[in-house]
Amino acid sequence: MRTRPGFHTLLLYTLGFALTLAAVGPALWLLVIAIQPAGSDMTTVSGALKPLLEGRATLENFGAAWTTGGLSTPLVNSLLVTTARAATNVLIAALAAYPLARMKFRGRNTVFVLILATMMIPEQVLMTPMFRTVVGLGMYDTLIAAVIPFSVSAFGIYLCRQAFAAVPEELCEAAELDGAGHWRTFIHVMLPLAAPTLSTLALFSFLGAWSELLWPLIVLEARDHQTLPVAVNALLGQFSTNLRAAYAAAVLTLLPVLIVLVICQRFLRTEMFAGAVKG
Amino acid sequence: MSRRSNAAIPWLYLFPAAVILGTFSIAAAFQVLYYSCTRFNAFTPATFAGLSNYTRALASERFWSCLLNSVLYLAVTPAIIVVSLLAAIAIDAKLRGMAYLRIALFLPVVTPGIVASLAWRVLLDEDSGLINRSLGSLGVPAINWLTEHPFTLVSAMLVTLWKGFGFYMMIFLAGLAGVPASLREAAAIDGAGPFRTFTSVTLPALKPSIALVAVVSSISALKVFEEVFVTLRGVPTNQLTMVPLIYRVAFEEGEYGLASALGLLLFVVVLAFSLINLRMGRANA
Repeated sequence: MRTRPGFHTLLLYTLGFALTLAAVGPALWLLVIAIQPAGSDMTTVSGALKPLLEGRATLENFGAAWTTGGLSTPLVNSLLVTTARAATNVLIAALAAYPLARMKFRGRNTVFVLILATMMIPEQVLMTPMFRTVVGLGMYDTLIAAVIPFSVSAFGIYLCRQAFAAVPEELCEAAELDGAGHWRTFIHVMLPLAAPTLSTLALFSFLGAWSELLWPLIVLEARDHQTLPVAVNALLGQFSTNLRAAYAAAVLTLLPVLIVLVICQRFLRTEMFAGAVKG
Repeated sequence: MSRRSNAAIPWLYLFPAAVILGTFSIAAAFQVLYYSCTRFNAFTPATFAGLSNYTRALASERFWSCLLNSVLYLAVTPAIIVVSLLAAIAIDAKLRGMAYLRIALFLPVVTPGIVASLAWRVLLDEDSGLINRSLGSLGVPAINWLTEHPFTLVSAMLVTLWKGFGFYMMIFLAGLAGVPASLREAAAIDGAGPFRTFTSVTLPALKPSIALVAVVSSISALKVFEEVFVTLRGVPTNQLTMVPLIYRVAFEEGEYGLASALGLLLFVVVLAFSLINLRMGRANA
């Protein structure tokens, strides 16, 4: 029966709108709450929208979060940690993936299997020894501790190896004939040709590091060393009388990833995820 | 310089990764095994203690309640499959004016866990939250989303579902792109309506994607931290799941030995799911 195509289209539109509301609603509501003036009714949608429609929206909660909450240092820390992790994750993974994809040497398969095997153990299980190692190395409560243990991932090495393996052999041979050694082939042939994969890896590393709470919470203690998620977590206790300041801090934490999402939306290609299914 | 002149070259490239993964994954795996067999806390160095941490864990009420909560948490998986599949279908329909859908539904995926958990804490607030207020206007009595078991678990699972479905939706979109259009057209020519085509052509073709989403989302449900830790701030320990319990034991109580044993017990459960994943991967290949 194909008599009612209109019905199915309507159904799909309803579904699309419902999902949009569910996906965007909670974050939007957090923003609405964060820009409320003091004493407004936040228990109903109409009550919370009223001051905004009357032009009484305020940034004072952001001000309170920024000054009393001291968010500028965590923001800088987050930017440092996140940038460092995106850079090291790409660099170290690409370096490791190159011989795994392109050189013949004894132990290559063993090393690759060992790297993949590390993916089987969740980092949540290893928190305690990782923490003890960080303390033992004298890195506790430093930004280095938030970067080094996660400066490369087995998944990243795997991604890069796949990308390098897809580079045609002739290109490397041509480079070799031109007198290029491993290093120059790596820099001038491999890295540029694997650029789409490398930028995807950088993006994922950035988003992952920016959002992470558990590990920084374990290794960063002093207020001056906290990243944004850790600082927001601390604010929740501190601002129990003015929670809207904590909500404003959360909105500030969300803002950079929103910008990155809009700029990088071309990465939301289905093909990126196709490999997951085909294995 | 000939390409195979120096056997050390590959290892030079591998060196930084080997140091990091060797220290923080491979060595840590052996350490956690060792710690789990020691009496070891923030104040006393490790001394061998056999399996006492395991017997302590298995004899404690909070281990079993948190393990049960983690197992109950797996109920989020079917919800994730349904919602992310529906989302993929809505996007795949390429409706006019709905081009924004993909990025809008991906927003929760990139939202930091602490922000997502806070946003839902506001909505689920027992007195002033929109959800209880809306239920109230329908005559439903207020639900203690943030304090009363098992509603607390449902609340955290809502956040996990919200944060996760956009990611799994992308896997389903990739799966849908792999269903040959000719199959769907053939079904339509045979007189099948959109629903019939979906259930008898599209859904069977999506089986590998569904299996993948089921395993990946189950493993990540077993490892949940932020959604429980932040959304359910302040609940008693026996309402937590495994990872927040391990965090509490290790870093609030300083019991490194016991926390390591708890971690390994969780690992056994996660490993079972990973092995299912591997087996399915092989079956697909």
